[in-house]
Amino acid sequence: MDLPSTLSSPGVSPRALLPSSSLTALDPDIRSVWRIKLCLLHTVIFLGILFYAVTRFFSGTDWTMLLGIVTGVLICMVLYILVWPRWRYDAWGYELHEDELVLEYGVITHVRTVVPLRRIQHLDVSQDIFEREFDLGRLIIHTAGTRSSDVVIPGLPLSTAERIRDEVKQYILNDPLTEDVL
Amino acid sequence: MSSTSPGADLPSDPASSDAPTDRPASSPVAEDASDNGTNVDAMNAGDRSAPASDAPEDTSESASEGASEGDNGLLGAVREPQRLHPLTLFLRFLATLPALALILLPTLTNPDSTIWMPLFLGGVYAVFAVPAIILQYLRFSYRITPRQIVIQSGVINRQNRSIPIERVQNVEIEQRLLARFLNLAQVRLETAGSASTEASIEYVSLRQAHKIRTAVRTYQRAADAQASDSESSSNDAEDATPRSETLFSMSLPHVLLAGAFRFSLFYLAVIFSVLQFVDPETLTNWFLLSQDRIDVVVEAMYDSPVLTVLTTVILAALLGWLSGILLTLNRYYGFTLWMEEGKLRKRHGLFTVTEGTIPLAKVQVMIVQTTPLMRAFGWYTLEVQTMGLNTDQQGQRVVAPFARWSTVLDLANHVRPLDLPETFERVSPLTIRRHFLRRLGVLLAVLAPAVYFWPSGWWHPYDIALPWWGLLAVPALGVAAYLHYHYHRYAIGQDGLYVRRGVLRHYLWMMPINRYQVFYATDSVLQRRLRLKTLFVDTAGASAFAYPDIIDVDAQTADGAVDTLHGQFHSLYRSMVATATAPPASTDARPSLVDPNAVPRALPLPRDSSS
Repeated sequence: MDLPSTLSSPGVSPRALLPSSSLTALDPDIRSVWRIKLCLLHTVIFLGILFYAVTRFFSGTDWTMLLGIVTGVLICMVLYILVWPRWRYDAWGYELHEDELVLEYGVITHVRTVVPLRRIQHLDVSQDIFEREFDLGRLIIHTAGTRSSDVVIPGLPLSTAERIRDEVKQYILNDPLTEDVL
Repeated sequence: MSSTSPGADLPSDPASSDAPTDRPASSPVAEDASDNGTNVDAMNAGDRSAPASDAPEDTSESASEGASEGDNGLLGAVREPQRLHPLTLFLRFLATLPALALILLPTLTNPDSTIWMPLFLGGVYAVFAVPAIILQYLRFSYRITPRQIVIQSGVINRQNRSIPIERVQNVEIEQRLLARFLNLAQVRLETAGSASTEASIEYVSLRQAHKIRTAVRTYQRAADAQASDSESSSNDAEDATPRSETLFSMSLPHVLLAGAFRFSLFYLAVIFSVLQFVDPETLTNWFLLSQDRIDVVVEAMYDSPVLTVLTTVILAALLGWLSGILLTLNRYYGFTLWMEEGKLRKRHGLFTVTEGTIPLAKVQVMIVQTTPLMRAFGWYTLEVQTMGLNTDQQGQRVVAPFARWSTVLDLANHVRPLDLPETFERVSPLTIRRHFLRRLGVLLAVLAPAVYFWPSGWWHPYDIALPWWGLLAVPALGVAAYLHYHYHRYAIGQDGLYVRRGVLRHYLWMMPINRYQVFYATDSVLQRRLRLKTLFVDTAGASAFAYPDIIDVDAQTADGAVDTLHGQFHSLYRSMVATATAPPASTDARPSLVDPNAVPRALPLPRDSSS
C-alpha cells in the first residue's frame, strides 16, 4: 500500500474497497437464530389471528373462508421464516482491512459502508440467549457520526467478534495521532 | 438534561419546600472530585449519597500548580464559593407571578366568588413559593477552581456538580430584558458530550459574569500550557486582553433588510393564541359598538367572498412579513462576529443579548443556506455544524445570518481555508423521474383517504370532491422534481466533499476531509433497477433532516466516489501519521507510546484484494 505524498489531485488515491473487496460471510448459524426469533414472533401474531378467527367462527362466519385466511397467513409466515433469513444472510458481508471495516448488508435497501477504524469511538460485543446457544456474538460499533452512529454486525462467532474488538482497540491505542475530532 | 440544571428547576414545587427543615445540611453530598469525572458523573452526583462531606476538592486546589497563581489576585473572588446576586430573588419572584395569576384566574374571573378565595390562595402561595425561592437562593453556590467548576444546588436533593475545567467548551453570557435593566446576566456553561447546557448560573452581575468567563479561560489556558510545554507561559500572561478582529457585523438597516426576507407566521400564531384567552364576544361587541364601519366591512365580505379571501391572505402575508422583521430584529440586532484565540465569538440580540462562542476546532461542516427570494437578491446564510455544543438548530450555529456570497466565502475561509471547486457534477437525470413519482405517491396517499371520507354535503366544485382538485398540484411536482435535479450537484474537492441540494431552500454543505466519519453507498430495490445509488458521508452533529445525501448517482460512479472519498481520508491520515511518527520523539507529546519505526497498526488479518 503506497503512501501518496500529497493530496495534489483528489482522484489520485482512491482506495478501491467498495465493489471489489471480497467479503467474509457471517456464521451460517445466524440463520437459525434469526429463524428461531422469527418463529417466536410469528407464533404470537398467528395466535392472535387464530383467536380472532375462532371468535368469528362462533359468531357465525363461514368457516371455509376463515380456514382459508388462516391457512394463507400460515403459509406466508412459514415462507417468510424460511426465505427471509437466507436472503438476509446472503446480503451480509464484512471485512476488516488494515485501516477500515467494510460492511455490506440489506435485502431491500442494500448498504455498503466503509468505517475507518480511526473513527470508531468504542465497541461492544453482545450476545442474547439465542445467540449464546450457537456461540455467536454481535459486534456493535459506535462512531461519532450522527446519521447512523451505531453499526451492528450480527452473527459473528463470539471468538471472532472479540478478536475484531481487540484488534480495533489495539489499532486505536496504537494510533499516534492525538487529534480530538469532536 | 437541562431539567437538572439548577436554573431549570427554579420554581421547585412549592409543596415540598417546607421539607428542608426536616433534612438540613447534613444530607450528605456526593463529592465527585475525580479529575476525569465525566459529565454523566457530574450529573449523577446529586443522586448518589456518599459519606464524603463538604470538604470539596482541597486536593485539586492544592494540586493547582504555579501556572495559575499569578491570576489569583484577579480571580480570587471566584475561587471562594459564591452566592448569586441578591436581585436574583426579585427576578425569580417575578418569574413565578404568572403561575400565581394562573392560580387566581378562575376565582378572579368568577363574579360570584368572594374576596377571601384569592386572598387564601395568595396566602398559600406566599407560604410555599417564597420560602422555596429563598431557600433555593441560599442553597446555590458556585466556585471556580483551577481544575473545575463546582456548583452546589438543591434544597432537598443536594446536587454537587463539578465540571472539569478543560471540558468547558463555551461560557455563554445571556441577558434577558428584565435582567438587563438590573444589570444582571445569566452564565451558561456548555461542555462537549452533552447536547444541552451543562450548568447555568443565573443571575450574577454582568461584571461577575465576565469575571467568571475570564477565570475559566485563564484556567483553561493554564491547563493547556501545562499539557503542552511547547507554548511558553509568558505568552499566556500577556494575552490577558487578547486581540480580536471583527469579522462580520450587521448594521440596523442590514438587520431590517434581513428581516424583510424572513417571512414568519410565528407572532401571528402567538397573537391569536392570546386572543383565545379574551372573551371573543366582548371583543366583537366592543368592535361593533365603537365602529359602525365594521358593518360595512362585513357586508362587503358577504358580497364578494373572493375579494375577502384575497384580502385575508394579503393581510396575513403582510403581518407575517412584519413579524418576520420584528423577530429578526429581536434576534440579530447588533450582530457582531469576531475571532478570538481560535474561537469565533458572536454577540447579538435586542431584548435578549446572547454571546456565543464557537471553537474553530469543533467545527465539523459548514453549511450555506438560501431561500429563493434571498438568492434572487444575492443573500446567503452561513452556518456551521458543531458537535456537543448547545445546539440552536440541530447542531447548527449561525455564523452569518444574512450576507453576500463574497462575505460568506470570506468568513468560511476564516473558519477553515477552503478551496471551492470550480465544477460541480450532476447526479443522474433519472432522479427527476424518481423524485416525481415519490412525491406523487405521497400526494395520492394523502388525497385518496381524503376523497374517500369526503362528506357528500361538503364542497364539490364542478361536482368533483375538493380533494381531487389537489391533483392540480401534479405539474408543480414535476417542476419541483426538475429543480431538484437541476440544483443537486456535488464535487469532490481537494479539501473535502461539497454537496448542493434543495428545491426551494438551497443548501451547500462543505465537509472537510478530516471530518468524514463513515462512508455509505446504498441502493434500494427501485434504485437497483435503474443502476443508481445514494451515497453519503456521515459527519458528527449532522442534523436529522436536510442531510447531505447525494441521491441517485450512477452506481459505478457512486462506488468510485466512495473509494475516492475514503482514499482522501486515508491518505490524509497516512501522511498525518507519517509526520507524527517521523521525527522521533522530538515533538511527539507521548513518544513512549509510539515506536517511530513501527507501522502504527498491527492487524494480522487477510489483506484486502485491492492493493
